[in-house]
Amino acid sequence: MDFDWDPEQRAFRAAIRDFLSAHLPPDWELQAHGPASQLQSAFSKKFCGELARVGLLVPHWPKRWGGRDADPWAAFILAEEMWEAGEPRGGQYMNVNWIGPTLMRFGTEAQQQRYIPPMARGETIWCQGFSEPEAGSDLASLRTRAEKEGATYRITGQKIWTSYAGHADTCFLLARTSAGKDGISVFLLPMDTPGIIVRQIPSIIGEGDIHEVFLDGVALPADALLGTEGQAWEIARTALSLERVGIPRFALATRMLHRAVETLKRGGRFGQGAIGQAGIARAACEAARYYSYSIVDKRRHGKTVGPEASAARYATVMAERLVSEFVVEHVPESLSGGDAMLLAHHQRAIVAGIASGAAEIQLNLVATELLKLPREPR
Amino acid sequence: MDFELTSDQEALVSAIDKLAQRFETKPTEFHGFALVGRELDEELTEGQYFDVAQIPELGPLAAAIVVERLARLPCTAEIALSMLLRPHLPGEWPRPLGLVEGGRPGRFVAGARTVIAIEGDSVSLARPAAAEVEPVESLLAYPMGRLRSCVASTLLASAEAASVRKWLRVALAAEASGLLQAAVASAVEHLTLRKQFGRPLGTFQALRHRMAECAVLAGGVRWLALKAAATADEGDAALAAMHAQESATRIVYDVHQMLAAMGMTLEHPLHLWTYRLKALLAELGGRGGQAMAVARHCFGASA
Repeated sequence: MDFDWDPEQRAFRAAIRDFLSAHLPPDWELQAHGPASQLQSAFSKKFCGELARVGLLVPHWPKRWGGRDADPWAAFILAEEMWEAGEPRGGQYMNVNWIGPTLMRFGTEAQQQRYIPPMARGETIWCQGFSEPEAGSDLASLRTRAEKEGATYRITGQKIWTSYAGHADTCFLLARTSAGKDGISVFLLPMDTPGIIVRQIPSIIGEGDIHEVFLDGVALPADALLGTEGQAWEIARTALSLERVGIPRFALATRMLHRAVETLKRGGRFGQGAIGQAGIARAACEAARYYSYSIVDKRRHGKTVGPEASAARYATVMAERLVSEFVVEHVPESLSGGDAMLLAHHQRAIVAGIASGAAEIQLNLVATELLKLPREPR
Repeated sequence: MDFELTSDQEALVSAIDKLAQRFETKPTEFHGFALVGRELDEELTEGQYFDVAQIPELGPLAAAIVVERLARLPCTAEIALSMLLRPHLPGEWPRPLGLVEGGRPGRFVAGARTVIAIEGDSVSLARPAAAEVEPVESLLAYPMGRLRSCVASTLLASAEAASVRKWLRVALAAEASGLLQAAVASAVEHLTLRKQFGRPLGTFQALRHRMAECAVLAGGVRWLALKAAATADEGDAALAAMHAQESATRIVYDVHQMLAAMGMTLEHPLHLWTYRLKALLAELGGRGGQAMAVARHCFGASA
């Protein structure tokens, strides 16, 4: 057991930090406000292109697709540094983490040739068409239909809460090809296909983040199907295993906690109450960090990652919440024009326990699979 | 960064697991507050396990792993302070160690050959004679004791005192980690076996989610304790003790709710873990004290 970084890992982190200080305007978070705003989406294409040119966009991908087969630690160090910097990659983090690798596993040669190189060059944005008005945590009840008509699938239905849909080039879409849990399939849907209407949902989490996507008889060629009909769960499980740790939210939360504490210290406001809560929040961030590291370490050693990934994710949600609440209580002016960066973090933290699977679902998994408590009756 | 155990650490863990087997269950006839593991102490002494931290291939991280493992037992012995703190005391101070804060009753004091006395900012060490200490009856599940009178002691220099506080925090976190895991496991066992409304309590989501949160917190305490032992950094030690006390506050309450009346009995071993945790909750100023240490070492706040 070793809690120190090896020289290669240190050098990799330093290279990312050097890159960020050279390529990220100091106030970029303020300029490109809103993780999926028009400005941020445009910025992400420029920024990811630069990352790609120096080999920092997809280092953990195979050589064939522009990577260098770097280990899971490199992928996570990259994710940590990017998120801590406010995630300048925008929605492209999904391409890098799981959409690209999922296509490498399940895509046809033609699908791979069409979609992977633009991801590796950092010039394309995807969205994920999972949630529906009647299918959130209970994804198996989704209703969007894909009906086969000769060599075409005709897709009809509605997606909701879809992040990045407003500027996405392609959607990783779940649709029903037959009844039942095993009747769900994955389609790669170009967002300029006729019959798609995207509406932004005004929200408290920032400009351009969540959308409704209406699919009105959208015609897709049969080769837009990823894998085989009914393979969605297997594909989703693989995607999930690539993205088990989730976003390293603790990294930005830690940075913002320090930022808030510095504000309090400058104003002579870092008193006993704030010190008590800051200590609790800082420790929770660190716990989430090492929980997440333990998952990366398992992957690095080729071990199966089980419910401890849900525990790591929940630890991260708790840490994010504590920091967010600390700022609300002790630096309340940040929500009213006092500190745009703390505000941006607050907006990101709102979704921590909701996006990519509700935190309560993680608790169910921990209870059943980690603690081995008897299952709930269904 | 690599969390696989080394072959030396693995060999140690397997030896400790084997040694611990005999002590896994509370003797059915025992109905006391603190179950003192004298035989456990003897076996650890015989196997020279108290020196684990000083062996270069093992070190404080391995010692923390041992402390955490043995804290899961229902019986208690003075292990954490001897393994993690004693190697950092200036000079030779014999074990077992006792801890007195602010003149209040403390852990292991009545049987201690060395007492660490904390009074405000000062830390001193003493070798009390048998007549200078006495046991104290307590609800807590450590053998509690106090100094009868003022004993001759050596006041530590501020750097030495800081080192003592740091390793006390590491020892506290490692011990709390094992206690928390055992308490959670005990509650999980109860929720699995106990039926109400025709089904196991563990099938009710209100309880499942609380236990899952407890398990997540306990897991975090373990990671921070091990990290602090490995890095020997003052900030890491403060964070580990902070998270241990904060999590224990929540978990101790929750596991007693899960066990309900059964957890109040001396027949059930739950209190042997939770009432050690309650003793640890108050040490080094409790959560407020740890938060001050975090402020100093992680946020650069002046003392």
